[in-house]
Amino acid sequence: MGVKVSLSKKYRSRGRKGGRDDVFSLDVSFEVGNELVVIFGRSGSGKTTTLRCIAGLETPECGSIIVNGKTYFDSDSGIDLQPQYRRPGYVFQNYALFPHMDVRKNIVYGLKGWDTAKKEDRLFEMLRLLHIEGLEGRYPSQLSGGQKQRVALARALAPSPDILLLDEPFSALDMVVRMRLRERIKTIQKELGIPILFITHSPEEAISLADRVVVLHEGQVHQSGSPREVFYSPVDRDVAELVGVSNIFEDGDVVGNSPEGFVLEGRGMQFVTSSDVSGSDTVSWGVRPENIHLMAYDEGLLSDEGNVFAGNVLDVTDKGSSKLIAVELDGSNVVLFCDVPTRLLDEAMGSRVIVKIAAKDVLVFE
Amino acid sequence: MLEDALIPLSITLKVAVLSTCLVAVFGILISYALARRDFRGKWLADILVTLPLVLPPTVTGYLLVVLLGKNGAIGSFLFETTGWSLLFTWHAAVIAAFVVSLPLMVKTTASAISAVDRELEYAAYTLGHSELETMLFVTLPLAKKGILAGIVLSFARAVGEFGATLMVAGNIPGKTNTMSLSIYTAFQSGNDALANILVITLVVVSLLSMALAARFVDRWSV
Repeated sequence: MGVKVSLSKKYRSRGRKGGRDDVFSLDVSFEVGNELVVIFGRSGSGKTTTLRCIAGLETPECGSIIVNGKTYFDSDSGIDLQPQYRRPGYVFQNYALFPHMDVRKNIVYGLKGWDTAKKEDRLFEMLRLLHIEGLEGRYPSQLSGGQKQRVALARALAPSPDILLLDEPFSALDMVVRMRLRERIKTIQKELGIPILFITHSPEEAISLADRVVVLHEGQVHQSGSPREVFYSPVDRDVAELVGVSNIFEDGDVVGNSPEGFVLEGRGMQFVTSSDVSGSDTVSWGVRPENIHLMAYDEGLLSDEGNVFAGNVLDVTDKGSSKLIAVELDGSNVVLFCDVPTRLLDEAMGSRVIVKIAAKDVLVFE
Repeated sequence: MLEDALIPLSITLKVAVLSTCLVAVFGILISYALARRDFRGKWLADILVTLPLVLPPTVTGYLLVVLLGKNGAIGSFLFETTGWSLLFTWHAAVIAAFVVSLPLMVKTTASAISAVDRELEYAAYTLGHSELETMLFVTLPLAKKGILAGIVLSFARAVGEFGATLMVAGNIPGKTNTMSLSIYTAFQSGNDALANILVITLVVVSLLSMALAARFVDRWSV
């Protein structure tokens, strides 16, 4: 059971302004269980095309797609089921509700051949599941964004699909609605036990939602694993950047050991990491901005222990619940970005600060 | 006198209604194919359908005579198999009206179909509906305003058709003398009274059909 995808496809992607079209090659393979899978990557990384290939709305050049033991596509044996025979639950980015049908008709549209009484039962079951009772008589133009999204979900789920595919379903919704719908999706996955593939470019959505994250970058799967693995052990620089590791040191040297682990040197600074880097001479590493601790400058805090630096604040950006602070470390041109929750910010802190990073937060990749 | 006006009116309505029905059916199918399908020679099909829009009606009529005449490709086949000659019958007038009004139908309908969000069709496919069902219950209902506009234009064009009709159907009293042809004949022969009656009737018919169409558009608005 689960989803097994292995496909490749070349297509023209829209070129940058004034430029020529680029030929984009998508080469994706992953295998996931009946779980909530987030396909995560920047726009233009091939996420949507992958999803459309699974749904049968686009055709890969070669490969195979198997969902719950049923072969949707297999270039070797020439199998290519029409979307009508795959019947995935598909939630489109712009909802794609039929504007000339009311909510009731939209939801029962996939229940072809059901008798009226059963259709009606299923309709109310779906309305209850998504908490949209009472909306059945409205037209899509009379619904809010969140309601449209719920109706789109109800419509996709009504025919009991083998798989649910969601293409950035929450990108146009506000924070509160988004959070509620995420919870809904999680519950639905637990209740129905079907694989759900969810596309997003938001790291926050990926980590809060996924049982498993598949990271897509420029048409390739770079990493597939639990959110913890992807967010705290990114396999390479691209994944690290995607999951928000903004302080990256490339091609540094492993220069020795310390009681806490290994000492790395890059751009004139030494860092200590608890990751095991024995056996490699050069590595890249990074630190998540929220894992950097800032304190008001105090000479007594400086020590020979690793990962304690003095520096000057260059810039502060207010992000509401937290502040993004850029600190230039003494004796180097290294600028670290630190994300500090506003309520934890030391009021006495001036432009001179002490930066402290735990050895476990120095993430090594490659 | 009244009969001189009523007969052309009935011929015109018969020809225009029948040709508009044909235009509606074929126009929708052709428009759908042009807007949604990829096939070899699509550009050629597009040009062939549009051609009567830019050709003078007499040229269109001449080409139809060549095709439909007893020596023409279609005409000779028809004559040999059924013994039926198409030219100078009211059927020929229907064909002339059909050919000249088809591009108006196709241009408006194809652009209305293209304007329908493809994602809606894809959504219908993933919900298990075939392309035909999707066309009938999703695409066409959403393109209905453009389709109706195309039908109204086609009907108006069929009512006003003159040049091609004259070439393929002649101006045979009681058989193929449509309103447009009769107005010309009456005017030429100095029968101003008849010309006036015909002109007024034609204007009223046109206004009525426009008003009727406008009501439908209103009722259909979602």
